[in-house]
Amino acid sequence: MLDHCSISHKGGVVLWSRSFTPAASHLATSPASPVNSLIREALIEGRTTEEKFEKDGYAVKWTFVNDLELIFVVAYQRILQLTYVDDLLAALKTLFVKLFEPLLATFVASLHALSSGKLSISSGFGGDTPNSWNFAKALESWDNVFNKLLRSFEEKAAQERKSRLRPMAPRVVADEPSTPPSEDQDTAPSQSASETVDEQQISRNVQALKNRLRGRGGKRLGRGSGRPESVHGSYSLPGSDSDTPSKSKRKKNTKEQRKWGESAPTESDMAALDFSSDKPSANGDDAHDLDIQALVDKASLGTRTQDGMYEVKDWEFGKGGGNDSTDDVISRALNTSNSKSTPAASTGSLGALGSLFARLTGSKVLTEEDLQPVLEGMKQHLMKKNVAKEIADKVCEGVGEGLVGKKIGGLQTINAAVRLALSNSLTRILTPKTSTDLLLSIRTKLNSPLPSTQQRLPYSITFVGVNGVGKSTNLSKVAFWLIQNGLRVLIAACDTFRSGAVEQLRVHVRNLSMLGMNGAADSKGRVELFERGYGKDAAGIAREAISYAKDNDFDVVLIDTAGRMQDNEPLMRALAKLVAVNNPDKILFVGEALVGNEAVDQLTKFDRALRDFSSASGGAGKGRGIDGMLVTKWDTVDDKVGAALSMTYVTGQPIVFVGTGQTYTDLRQLRVANVVQAILSD
Amino acid sequence: MDNDPQTPHEPAAIPTPEPISTPYVSTTSSQTTLFASLAFAVILLVFVFLARRKSSKRGNAVLLVGPCDAGKTAILSTLVYKQTLPTHTSLQTNSSVIALGPPNSQKTVQVVDIPGHPRIRDQFKEYLAQAKAVVFVVDASTVSRNGPAVAEHLHRVLQALTSLPPSQQPPSLLILAHKSDLLKSTTSTTNSEQLAINRVRTILERELEKRKASQVGGVGMEGLGEDSMEGQGGEVDGLECSGGVGFRFKDWEGGEVGFVGSYVRVGRVAEVKEDGEKGEEGESGLEALEEWLDELA
Repeated sequence: MLDHCSISHKGGVVLWSRSFTPAASHLATSPASPVNSLIREALIEGRTTEEKFEKDGYAVKWTFVNDLELIFVVAYQRILQLTYVDDLLAALKTLFVKLFEPLLATFVASLHALSSGKLSISSGFGGDTPNSWNFAKALESWDNVFNKLLRSFEEKAAQERKSRLRPMAPRVVADEPSTPPSEDQDTAPSQSASETVDEQQISRNVQALKNRLRGRGGKRLGRGSGRPESVHGSYSLPGSDSDTPSKSKRKKNTKEQRKWGESAPTESDMAALDFSSDKPSANGDDAHDLDIQALVDKASLGTRTQDGMYEVKDWEFGKGGGNDSTDDVISRALNTSNSKSTPAASTGSLGALGSLFARLTGSKVLTEEDLQPVLEGMKQHLMKKNVAKEIADKVCEGVGEGLVGKKIGGLQTINAAVRLALSNSLTRILTPKTSTDLLLSIRTKLNSPLPSTQQRLPYSITFVGVNGVGKSTNLSKVAFWLIQNGLRVLIAACDTFRSGAVEQLRVHVRNLSMLGMNGAADSKGRVELFERGYGKDAAGIAREAISYAKDNDFDVVLIDTAGRMQDNEPLMRALAKLVAVNNPDKILFVGEALVGNEAVDQLTKFDRALRDFSSASGGAGKGRGIDGMLVTKWDTVDDKVGAALSMTYVTGQPIVFVGTGQTYTDLRQLRVANVVQAILSD
Repeated sequence: MDNDPQTPHEPAAIPTPEPISTPYVSTTSSQTTLFASLAFAVILLVFVFLARRKSSKRGNAVLLVGPCDAGKTAILSTLVYKQTLPTHTSLQTNSSVIALGPPNSQKTVQVVDIPGHPRIRDQFKEYLAQAKAVVFVVDASTVSRNGPAVAEHLHRVLQALTSLPPSQQPPSLLILAHKSDLLKSTTSTTNSEQLAINRVRTILERELEKRKASQVGGVGMEGLGEDSMEGQGGEVDGLECSGGVGFRFKDWEGGEVGFVGSYVRVGRVAEVKEDGEKGEEGESGLEALEEWLDELA
């Protein structure tokens, strides 16, 4: 069921991990593993509040232990609806921390050694220096615990599913035609149960389902050898020897069922129908023996069979499998953790004095209650700075998640701790993850070697956005900057809708060509306008512009598009077509700094529409999204610069430029520290 | 460069809340106790301050920087635990103290492993003030594919190193061509480490040259706020060479750049781990790095 499970330190050291399929284990060691993607694309981006992360057909769920800086990650196939993953994570967390706390504490301390004077002396590992720590040995008992825990969760889930399906089965009996068992083999468990004909087949299917579930859980242990046999055993055709006892039983059962009709089955019914528990019936035994062969090696077979008898059904910790001490450990740890929550609450209510002392000794642990008011305040503050509400919520929640359970030392107030964490988080969100050096990427493209038959394509930048945010104005500013850098710029007037749009660009081009560059009196020939009037297809004009630029040796093509509402689907499709046909090197979204909650909607819809529609229409620019943002009207918002945060959070893309005024030189690069400071300032 | 003004504040910022502690502790006591404790706090504060000053002056940290998946955390774990633990992308900085040289020697060094993710890689600037050496780790097996990204990262490091205040002795820089075992040596004469070093050097020099060329004659864009000029001016700074237009590590004005090849092997299979043979194997790949660190100390 699961594909991968790992326990690791936030610093990157994996303490324990296991893959359940060969594919997953191969993937887990590569940089593209689900865990790596999770960290890079969700956790570092500050998206910790989302429920789960999906990547390459995997769904990944995670949880933190902040004071020990651990991350617990579980990855599974996305199509599986695994309901128990959350519980499993919670149980893993409590158990692991419970069992290995001293060891973990020393381990974490060894990764935070700041004083260079002495080596940290460990106690948890037995050895004196970190050199002699043996992680494999220290954690070897965990394997066992994990196995038990996982199996119990999987069995419980299987049982729940079965009990959900059970009432449906009798109804289907009459009208559903018989399907050969061979077809059942690979259908989903839920289907196989509904396609049954009679009790006998129900029982067989249930057994098969169980085998399959179990086989999957223990796949790691070598399922290949045992599998074909077990399939044969459980799917053996009617009439074979092993079926005789259950056949006779069927007769009796069908009679009773008719008598009770639609009402709920009785206890004895359930017992009779329940072939999942290890009845000493020939069929069940047969299947079980084979199943266990698949699960364990031959040496431990005997005890395992006995064990198996107890494990079925609602398996509870401490009750089942009495001969194994790991159960005790699990149950004890889980129980104490449950009961521990009450004393913790009572110490909290001991009053301000207690918490004051705790703080003085540097052992004050942050709880959710402590953080709640502070985070609420921070959220209000962010919203006052024009951060979209949704984003403020998420950012604050993420900060809170990262702080719960942390110890705050000395006299640091909660407020200060939250502020620091928030500042770090904002810096992380705003810091670009791709290069924003436009000049470098233009030069790289222009200088890259080409086959002699091919002509050099110009670097093209498309400006998109809603109406009236300043696309044309800022396009001309960018053009000015590029001209100053000695590049030849062609402006393509693809706004064929708004009257005056082409004329506006013509004026800009006239102005730009009159402005000097590097001592030259004017920059004639360095900038040109490519226009085809109004009412034409923008994508076609852009294509013509690019080929014109190619023929006339222009370096950069700036494509101006008509402003459009993000909800206007026909217009968004047209834009996506432009992108798909021309595949520009950069798609810049132009947004105004004045935008508030709307920023989220605009950006998500533009990004979504571009991706969806452009991949539908084919062409070179398939599935392209927004590459960067240009925030305009920055000078109008003073320090309410929250839009910058909203925009970068939504897309994860950097803000390439900031427009700060009315003249051609009023284009700036974003300084992250500057924005963070502005957002946090009171 | 943005963090530079903040670092000097740090030692001062932490002790400042100290005086507030005294009223809490001694409100119930008499005035003399209050006075005494105040004096004690002041003395303590001075000590703390001096200690911090001293340690930051001395600079005993080795920073492990470099792009994602280069193997920084694996190196750290090999140095600290003498075994290579499996790793994934780091979320936060790790910092450990390791002993150098023969066992029982008192020489120790603090190794700081800074995540390479673009969004958090700039954290290395916070540690530069106490850095004795900076090790830029490069994955030699993939550098040819993502040369531009690696060069961008290295550029930031070089820039930060050259823009350090002149009062501080600049930390020495080592470029570590890591994962050299993944390179297939075509000729038997050159060993894989030398091959890795050569490849990393060539690619990085080429990419940095490109970066440098694109800056020359370019009009940079101002940043927001007053400190804008400093930022843009620094862009070119980091790549200045004594001779010619191109970029050569040996001509770099920021100081000497060392090159070392290395590799570690992560014990992927559980059985190997138990045997303990993996530990020895993992160590051997880092000998050159350890030697280099040893010479520093």
